[in-house]
Amino acid sequence: MGIIRVNRPAADRNAFEAAWGYVTSIAKGMQLTMKIMLKQLLKLEKSETLEWPEQPATYSERFKGKHFLTQREDGQVRCTACFLCATACPAECIFIEAGEHPDHRIEKYPVRFEIDILRCVFCGLCEEACPVDAIRLGPEYVMAGSAGDKWVYTKEYLLARPQLQGGIASIKVENDKHPAINKIASVENNKSVVRH
Amino acid sequence: MEKPKIVTRFAGLADSRSLDTYLRHDGYQALHKALAMKPAELIELVKASGLRGRGGAGFPTGLKWSFVPKDAPEKYLLCNNDEGEPGTFKDRYILELSPHMLVEGMIISAYAIGAQKAYIYTRCEFYEEIAWMEQAIHEAYRHGYLGANILGSKFSFDLDHYGGAGAYICGEETGLISSLEGKKGQPKLKPPFPALSGYLNKPTVVNNTETLAVIPWIVQHGPEKYRAIGTEKSPGTKLFCISGPVKRPGVYELPLGYPLQKFIEDDAGGLRDGKTLKAVIPGGASAPVLTADEVAKVTLDYESMANAKTMLGSGAVIVIPEGQSMVELLKVTVDFFHHESCGQCTPCREGTGWLSNVMHGIYQRKAKLKDVEKMIAIANNMEGRTICALSDACAMPTRAIATKFGDEIRSYIQRGNHG
Amino acid sequence: MSKQVSFTLDGQEVTVPQGWTVMQAARQEKVAIPHFCWHPGLKVAGVCRFCLVHVEGARKLEISCNLVVQPGMVVSTLRDEVKQAHKWALEFHLLNHPLDCPICDQAGECGLQDYYMEVGLYQSQMTRPKVLKPKALDVGSELVLDTERCILCSKCVRFEDEVTKTGALGIFARGDRSIIGTYHGQKITHQYQENLVDICPVGAFTSRRFRFKQRVWFLKEKSSICPGCSTGCAIKVHGKPEMRRYFRVKPEEDQSVNGHWLCDKGRMTLEHLNPEARLMQAARWQAAQQAWEFSPQTAPFIRELAQEIARLAPQDIALLVSAQYTNEEYAEFFDYFVKQRGITQVYQWREPSEARDDFDGLLLRGDHNANTRGLMAALKQVGIKAKIGDQLEKCVAAKPQLVIALSPEISFTAPSLPEQLAQLNSLARVSLWTTHFSASQWTQLWQLLPLRGFAEKIGTVTNYQGKTRVLKEAFPPVASEVLAISQIIAGLHKEL
Repeated sequence: MGIIRVNRPAADRNAFEAAWGYVTSIAKGMQLTMKIMLKQLLKLEKSETLEWPEQPATYSERFKGKHFLTQREDGQVRCTACFLCATACPAECIFIEAGEHPDHRIEKYPVRFEIDILRCVFCGLCEEACPVDAIRLGPEYVMAGSAGDKWVYTKEYLLARPQLQGGIASIKVENDKHPAINKIASVENNKSVVRH
Repeated sequence: MEKPKIVTRFAGLADSRSLDTYLRHDGYQALHKALAMKPAELIELVKASGLRGRGGAGFPTGLKWSFVPKDAPEKYLLCNNDEGEPGTFKDRYILELSPHMLVEGMIISAYAIGAQKAYIYTRCEFYEEIAWMEQAIHEAYRHGYLGANILGSKFSFDLDHYGGAGAYICGEETGLISSLEGKKGQPKLKPPFPALSGYLNKPTVVNNTETLAVIPWIVQHGPEKYRAIGTEKSPGTKLFCISGPVKRPGVYELPLGYPLQKFIEDDAGGLRDGKTLKAVIPGGASAPVLTADEVAKVTLDYESMANAKTMLGSGAVIVIPEGQSMVELLKVTVDFFHHESCGQCTPCREGTGWLSNVMHGIYQRKAKLKDVEKMIAIANNMEGRTICALSDACAMPTRAIATKFGDEIRSYIQRGNHG
Repeated sequence: MSKQVSFTLDGQEVTVPQGWTVMQAARQEKVAIPHFCWHPGLKVAGVCRFCLVHVEGARKLEISCNLVVQPGMVVSTLRDEVKQAHKWALEFHLLNHPLDCPICDQAGECGLQDYYMEVGLYQSQMTRPKVLKPKALDVGSELVLDTERCILCSKCVRFEDEVTKTGALGIFARGDRSIIGTYHGQKITHQYQENLVDICPVGAFTSRRFRFKQRVWFLKEKSSICPGCSTGCAIKVHGKPEMRRYFRVKPEEDQSVNGHWLCDKGRMTLEHLNPEARLMQAARWQAAQQAWEFSPQTAPFIRELAQEIARLAPQDIALLVSAQYTNEEYAEFFDYFVKQRGITQVYQWREPSEARDDFDGLLLRGDHNANTRGLMAALKQVGIKAKIGDQLEKCVAAKPQLVIALSPEISFTAPSLPEQLAQLNSLARVSLWTTHFSASQWTQLWQLLPLRGFAEKIGTVTNYQGKTRVLKEAFPPVASEVLAISQIIAGLHKEL
């Protein structure tokens, strides 16, 4: 084991500074505040402050905000209810109830898919664990609310809320259904599409 | 080199299949002789003759018989007349010449091992041969060679035939037994070996038609005379079926140790239409291929073939001329084994499918160069890993062609990649 | 004792009985040899060719499942060629496997997954399309068959041939087109269907009852004893304690009783553990409202019961006991009520129509009570002479002032339970101690006390052979208001 020497400030700084030094620090700080305030008042500099919520703020598309479930080409939920997101989730906020899909080519799908958003830590592990690109964290960040029951997002909400403008198709289409029946889909569709 | 005629001694005779003809040529003399001997002496006699199984594996016949427990009350003798190996057409020729030869051989063999019942397992496609065989069995019954107390002795024996549906795997010893039992034709796990627990879980000997057909001759003329033919370790003669673009294709009886080159050029008359020799498959589709250079060095016996890393197999010599695409040949071979794999053992079931799959990719020129190495790796891991030898039978020719003709396959793939 | 043979396995000297295979010896020595088609309860098939080992002097690798131990044999499972062979064997198995693990119930306990992590870990070389086969086939009331996931180990076929002797399954076609199936669209109808799910090393057979309910890695398992009949099969109950739910019952290997198997009825006992079928809180019948009144407080109920016991003379009180509780529970129950309180009227509560001596030839017995012998022994212990048989009518006819009843736990063992309960209605006060409850069928009993289910208690039962079967581990009860019999008796002690 090595020893790291750390330079500490001298303990015996002069007594005045030790007693009254904060005043100069405040003055220094206020000086900067005043400078920027004046600049912005005189419109010499653009203000970074937004008049939120009247003024909307846009985040990066890669922002990990509110979850959504992607759709198959026909608008059905992409999720196969494999529970891998629920397994990966450190906050245990994902509840899935799987069921038998009437279409044998899909076989398994989530009857219920719920996220308790109050427990979610937005780590994005669910997104990474998903083998079929069914769950993603979107750029929506406004999640404030007042009614208790809305904190658990249902499958329907995650799949197609107004903000999603009809839902988002998965980038994975080729394995949509069992290839014995459904021939491999064309490559052109093989990209993320936001429906308008 | 002298070419004694043992199995083919009836060739060219008028009405060779009839009992009269057979009797006129010392037919059933061996049976008289054999019934005067003790079964154990008979087994020693066959052991002394050095006769080896003619079906493909070349296992010493006398040794096989000696594995059968003496005291078992119920034993079976089965004749493997399935002849499924591509390129082979010798067993049906025996039935065509003289089915009595087989019947007599079976009676003597059954007496030696103590079997009371025997079946001749034939593929149903041989419908003419089946009719001739049936007639011979009827004649033998009528004249007291079959049935109760044969020729006045205490030995009683019944012979019947069974028609298989023609699956390649039913030519395998235990696959044949499964099929005969009325089950799906799948080889059985060994041990226990059929000599201890075979047909209906009773001791069973399965011999090839040709093996059984030479037994009367050996018994009649003595093992020394048989041993004088052929080589030290591979005595006797064998039927060879030559096919491909030679001038005189067909079945030839040759002493073992006969040079392959000589066989192709002298006996079969060489290649026709001025073709040159590219390669030879010496023992049916499952035998690894020999290049033209190797052909000159080998002789037709078990040891020489083993030294050349191939096998005598059923004696089906397939001649491949220059200009024949090895890609096509390998594709057909692999497809055959893929189609015929019974699907029981995983390496064979999946391996044959995989090889066929890769081979189709190569054939359609949708493959990579390293696919040739992949095929060799697959073949290496299929060999010796399964219950029966079908997996080996697919792996060995694949590896031989992919190794010896790898460049041809690679250039075939490349031509495709360049358009 | 049979003759012993010694040989060397991975450098260790191992001694096993003569005739054992290397696989059996390795299993005893806890040497892991990967395998798919071998099962200790079935004949050797030797078809997966996975369990290859190296034998000194042998020309090629041998399969250990069919290799009988010879004295002095030197076997290795650790050589590179063996590991390489295992890797290839796995690659062959996975070649045409669809890899639909996300929707496969076997994921998490799948042989292919486990061995891939253990001996595989290769990059797949398969670049061509896979063979496609039919999926999600209905082959039986408890089974769903996916022929594409199947690796054709033939264990299910052998189970049908050797264990149930129904021969309902076969392998059709050949080569890599082979598929497992039933004959001519027939279905498997026997009582042992879910064993096929257990022995299937992959997800080809999945259980209809468990299908898609839960992923297996969430489940905890506890060893217990099946309460379905007097055989007393060793089982493992799989549940998710944090959800307070149970998901499946699997057999536990026990050569002395059930071998490797468990009947479907035994698996059905699970339904009596989940909250829907359970009495979760104590209840009393409110005649005015014609409804049950449930209460999270059990103490007042026990107090009421204690007051009744104190008020009445012992001869006015009767005990009505079913044979589905543990020996320890009986001991405590009778010790308190018979010995200490002097109650002498003890009646057995059984299914009147039961065919007690029936046996299906494999596991399931006609006596659907797990502890008939234990109950008789407990009665004898406290000096009560009794013959096995239903005495409910006798109890009703005796018109006791108070009946303390231990209800049967598993409803399929007591089909006439509703009628029997209706008979009890004529009595003044019945304190029914029960695990399950059906609001639509049950009326008018004085009080109901909730008991723990079989997976929530430890103890012993005595099976038909007289063997003591141990319920080894317990889940926490589905609700905190659910009581053990000892807790109720302790409560009574306190009150009296």
